[in-house]
Amino acid sequence: MAQALKDKQIAPGTAKAKDSVIGAAANAGQTAEPDAGGDSSPLILLEMVHRLKVRDVMSTELLTLNRQAPMKRAQELMRANNISGIPIREGGRLYGLVSIDDIIRALEGGYINEPCGRHMTTHLIVLEDDMPVAFALRYFDRYKYGRFPVLNRGRTLVGIVSQRDINRVLLHELTQEFERLERAHKGVNVGVGEDDHLYMLCEYPVVKLDFENAGKAANEIKILLRDRNVDTRVTRRIAVAAYELELNMCVHSDGGTLTFLVSNGRAEVIAKDTGPGIPDVEWACRDGSSTANDWIRSLGFGAGMGLPNTKRVSDTFDISSAPGKGTTVRAGFALRLSNPEEEAKPS
Amino acid sequence: MTIIDVVKALDGTICYAGQGPGRHLGYVMASDLMSDVLLVDADDMLLVTSLASDQALRTAQIVGAMGVVVANGKPLPSTMVDVARSLGIPLATSPLSKYDCCVRIHKARMAEKQCGAGA
Amino acid sequence: MTLQELAAACEGEILAAPDGEVAVNAAYTSDLLSDVMGNAPPESVLITVQNHLNTIAVCTLADIRVVLVCHGRDIPDDMLAAARREGIALLRTPLDQFHASCRLAALA
Repeated sequence: MAQALKDKQIAPGTAKAKDSVIGAAANAGQTAEPDAGGDSSPLILLEMVHRLKVRDVMSTELLTLNRQAPMKRAQELMRANNISGIPIREGGRLYGLVSIDDIIRALEGGYINEPCGRHMTTHLIVLEDDMPVAFALRYFDRYKYGRFPVLNRGRTLVGIVSQRDINRVLLHELTQEFERLERAHKGVNVGVGEDDHLYMLCEYPVVKLDFENAGKAANEIKILLRDRNVDTRVTRRIAVAAYELELNMCVHSDGGTLTFLVSNGRAEVIAKDTGPGIPDVEWACRDGSSTANDWIRSLGFGAGMGLPNTKRVSDTFDISSAPGKGTTVRAGFALRLSNPEEEAKPS
Repeated sequence: MTIIDVVKALDGTICYAGQGPGRHLGYVMASDLMSDVLLVDADDMLLVTSLASDQALRTAQIVGAMGVVVANGKPLPSTMVDVARSLGIPLATSPLSKYDCCVRIHKARMAEKQCGAGA
Repeated sequence: MTLQELAAACEGEILAAPDGEVAVNAAYTSDLLSDVMGNAPPESVLITVQNHLNTIAVCTLADIRVVLVCHGRDIPDDMLAAARREGIALLRTPLDQFHASCRLAALA
């Protein structure tokens, strides 16, 4: 198939270009549906390969030759730069490609010094730069080439993409995504401000009756504080408050969010749920008051100490709740990093 | 008396030994109500409990405990050792009842004091 | 071991005592009532902080003779009444479960 076309000079820009193999392949690529096989890749990968375009992954530093250049030159370029294909380009237009296979045949056939234009592969599958990477992956699957030239809408050669390029970018994106998830989980903003005060904002979802994860947020908050050398007594009080509020939400609400906020030398644990609301807030804040059933108690929870305990360990305590509207509890703490011996509140 | 010493005294098994040199036993809390555990303000607390759940470890971390012993030969859920590792809390089990665990720990500590050994 | 001896050893008080002697030959320390029901030996002393009516109910099922409530927890009236009704001795100590257990063991 390719053999017959090798001698043809393809002049893009003419009416013929549209019928040319390159044009046809590019158009065909756009309309042909990739295999609709089942895809069990994680959602995050699927999102990535659909969001990223070929232009986001391709190599743009192109080593190309014109048609007059000898095959030998292509061979030298490939070897020196460790690449496996040289596009043959003139005036921005892609004419063909010289691959390692072409070089091997040229060496065997004894025409290594002949012009590339005569021996290049012209039956080329090309990609368009604004195709999603997902498409490109299907191409790699179907056509078994190591690389594809990339054209823009104006049919100018703008890059070349190999499987390795795709992998490299996906890996980079995944790493960034993980770092972003970690940061979002541990704290959107964590750092030390100008006045030497810590600032943090962390949000944790709390799921109703999710005993497997109950308390995890509080554990992480404690680690965050410990790692930043916050006074141990204050850390403990904050951790206890966070834990009590988290468990309270897990056991008694329909779920909600636990937020941990540090700024200006003050820390706050905020538990906000969308549960049934507490009809009698005062009652709920008394020791031993609990609506937990026997099953929950048998797991070790529900002794009714959550809110009173939280109140006891915090510097400020605020609760607002209404039946049907959910509950928000805020426990506040004075916080300083330096001179732990001078810590504000006596335990 | 470290967690290793405790486990020996309790005919127990170490599930996660923790990292670095073991901390010495301070206060012993024999409780199954995590809400009570949270009230304890003691350093180097050892939690002896029948509650074989991640909650025992999470509560222990909040109060800075030096270890958790699950008594009554309760089988641990598979997640528990991983949680112990991720929180850095030594975890052990003992076939003895919680009552017998308390008594043995007490005896072992008395013996240690008499010998002038340990913390 | 008499109830008086037990109370004295634990710095505690007797709140309910059946007539006659109380025979115990074991002790069990637990706050999980399901655990008590399943594992407490018969004719034993239960060392616990669970200060409610359910505790007495479990004791009758598990043949526990004495309940020693720790940490000086308050005893609700219905628990006290049930203990008296069922002939289960009820004591209270300011000690925690660990120390109460050790003191009891020292007695035996």
